Amino acid sequence: MTTESQTPQLSYEKPLPPVLELTKPFWDGCRESVLQFQFCNICDLPWFPPAEACPRCLQDDWEWRPISGHGTVWSWIRMWQKYFPGWSPDEYPYTVALIKLEEGPYMYSTLVEIEDKDVSCDLSVEVDFRKVNDEITLPVFRPMST
Amino acid sequence: MSNQPDRSALRNLQDKTAIVGVGTTEFGAIYRDLDPERSAYELGLIAFREALKDAGLKRTEVDGVIVSRLPHYGRMCEMIGLRHPRFANVLPGEGRQSGIALQYAALAVANGMADVVACIYGNNGRSAGAKYGGESRGISTQAMFEAPYGMTSPGAVTSMMFRRHQFRYGTTTEPLAHLAISNRANAALNPNAVMQRPLTMDDYHGARFIAEPLCLLDYCLINDGGVCFIVTSAERARDLKHPPVLLHATSQASDITPVYVADDFWHEPMSQIADDLFSYSDVQRDDLAFAQLYDNFTPTMLFTLEGMGFCEPGEGGDWITPERIGLHGELPLNTGGGHTSESYMQGWALHVEAVRQLRQKCGERQVDDAQYGLYACAAPLATGHILKRDDR
Repeated sequence: MTTESQTPQLSYEKPLPPVLELTKPFWDGCRESVLQFQFCNICDLPWFPPAEACPRCLQDDWEWRPISGHGTVWSWIRMWQKYFPGWSPDEYPYTVALIKLEEGPYMYSTLVEIEDKDVSCDLSVEVDFRKVNDEITLPVFRPMST
Repeated sequence: MSNQPDRSALRNLQDKTAIVGVGTTEFGAIYRDLDPERSAYELGLIAFREALKDAGLKRTEVDGVIVSRLPHYGRMCEMIGLRHPRFANVLPGEGRQSGIALQYAALAVANGMADVVACIYGNNGRSAGAKYGGESRGISTQAMFEAPYGMTSPGAVTSMMFRRHQFRYGTTTEPLAHLAISNRANAALNPNAVMQRPLTMDDYHGARFIAEPLCLLDYCLINDGGVCFIVTSAERARDLKHPPVLLHATSQASDITPVYVADDFWHEPMSQIADDLFSYSDVQRDDLAFAQLYDNFTPTMLFTLEGMGFCEPGEGGDWITPERIGLHGELPLNTGGGHTSESYMQGWALHVEAVRQLRQKCGERQVDDAQYGLYACAAPLATGHILKRDDR
C-alpha cells in the first residue's frame, strides 16, 4: 500500500453522514456502486431522502430498488465560503450541484470529470461513486457518457 | 381544485385587527458593541417596552404573547411580568414566521381568544456567533445528504435557485445589484440602520462571492436585535395613540420540498397569496405605496415580484430598475433598508417599517401617499399581507 492511498483515509475531515438503520441500505448500495431509492410497493412511488413510510400511501410497505442513476443538473453553485473543515485551500471554490433524477427526486451532490466552465443547468449526468472509507462511498455525478 | 376551501372567508378578517404599537432595539448601536452575555430575551424585552410606550398601552393590558426565535414563551412572559396570558406560544426562529406571527395574533384577537397580543422577537445571533451554515451533526437530511458535499446554508440554496433563473430566463446579476444598492440608499436615510454607507455598482461587482453566483452584498446582515409589534382589535385601536394600521388582507401558501428550492421560484404559492390579497380586497397593485419584501438574499425579492404578478415570470430582471424601486418610484421596496442594510430581523423589522411608513413617520425616507402597503415573504412557507392606514 502506498502512502498516497493511506493518507486520504487518515486525514479525511469533511463531514461524513451517520449511518442509521433506515439509511444503511442506501450506503451499502453505494459501496457496491448501486444507487437506490425507496419505492412504495403499493403505488411504486420513489422518494428521497429516506423516510419511514410512503409520503402518498403513508404505509411502510416499501423496498430499496436500484435507480437509473441518470439525471440532469437542476442547478449548481461554486462555494467560496469556508463553512466546513476538510476542504483544503486549493479546493475552493468547490462545486455543489442539485441533481434532478430521472425517477423524480432531487439530490444534492457534486460533479466530477467536468470543468466548471463546461457545467450548465440541464446538463445530462449519470452517477459515479467515490470511496471515502470502508463504510461510506459517496455518489457523485459526471456528464452522461455518449 | 374542487376541494379548495372558500378563500373568500378571508374577507371576514379584513380590517378587523390592527397593529397599534411597534418597538425595536437600536440596531446600529449594538452592531458595533458585541456582548457575549446579551440574551435574545433581553432584546425582546427592550422591544416590548418600546412597543408598549409607542401604543400607549399598559403592560397589564397585554393578555396574549407570541414569541419567535426566543426559545420559550415562558421565560419571555416571566420577564415582562405576564403571569396569566390567555393566549401564548412560540414560533420557530425562521424568518418566514414573522408574517405568521401577525396572522396568528390577528386570528386570536378577531376570534376573542385575547384582546391585546404582543408578538416578540429577539435575536442575539451576531454576539452568539451564528453562521447560518456549516451544520454537520445529528441525523438531519442536511447532515446526512448535504454536508458531505459541502452543501449548507440558506444562501447557497437561494443561489441555486438564482442560477436556475439565470439559465431559464437569461437574468443577470444587475437587478440584484440594483436591489442591494437601493436597500442601502434607503438605510442611509434610516438613523437606526446598521449599514449606512451608500453602495455603487463597482462595490457590488467587487464584493467577494459567498456561494457563487451570489456575493456578500446579496446577503442579509448578521446582527443582534429585538422587535415587537402589538396587535388588537380595530375598534380598540381607534382609541389609542396613533392612527391604527389595519390588517386589511393576509394569506399563506406553501411549497414544501426536501431540497428547499422550488422549480417555479415559488411562483405558485406567491400567486396564490396575490390572488387572495387582491381578489378579496378592494386594493390592487397600483394602490400600494410600498412593498416590504423578505430579502434574506436579494434574489428572494425578484422571485416575490414575479410570483405576485408585478411582472411576468422571467421579467423581474428587466422590471427592477432604480427608478421604479426607489423611495419615490412606482413601487418603493424595503424603504428602511431591508435585511441587507437595516437589520436582519427576519421579517420582523420589515413589519415595523411598514407600520411607520403608513403612519407617515419616516422622515427623510417617507414615501408618498402611504395609505396601503405590502409585506410579502417568499419561502417554502410563504406569507403576504396588505396593511392599511385607518383614517377614521
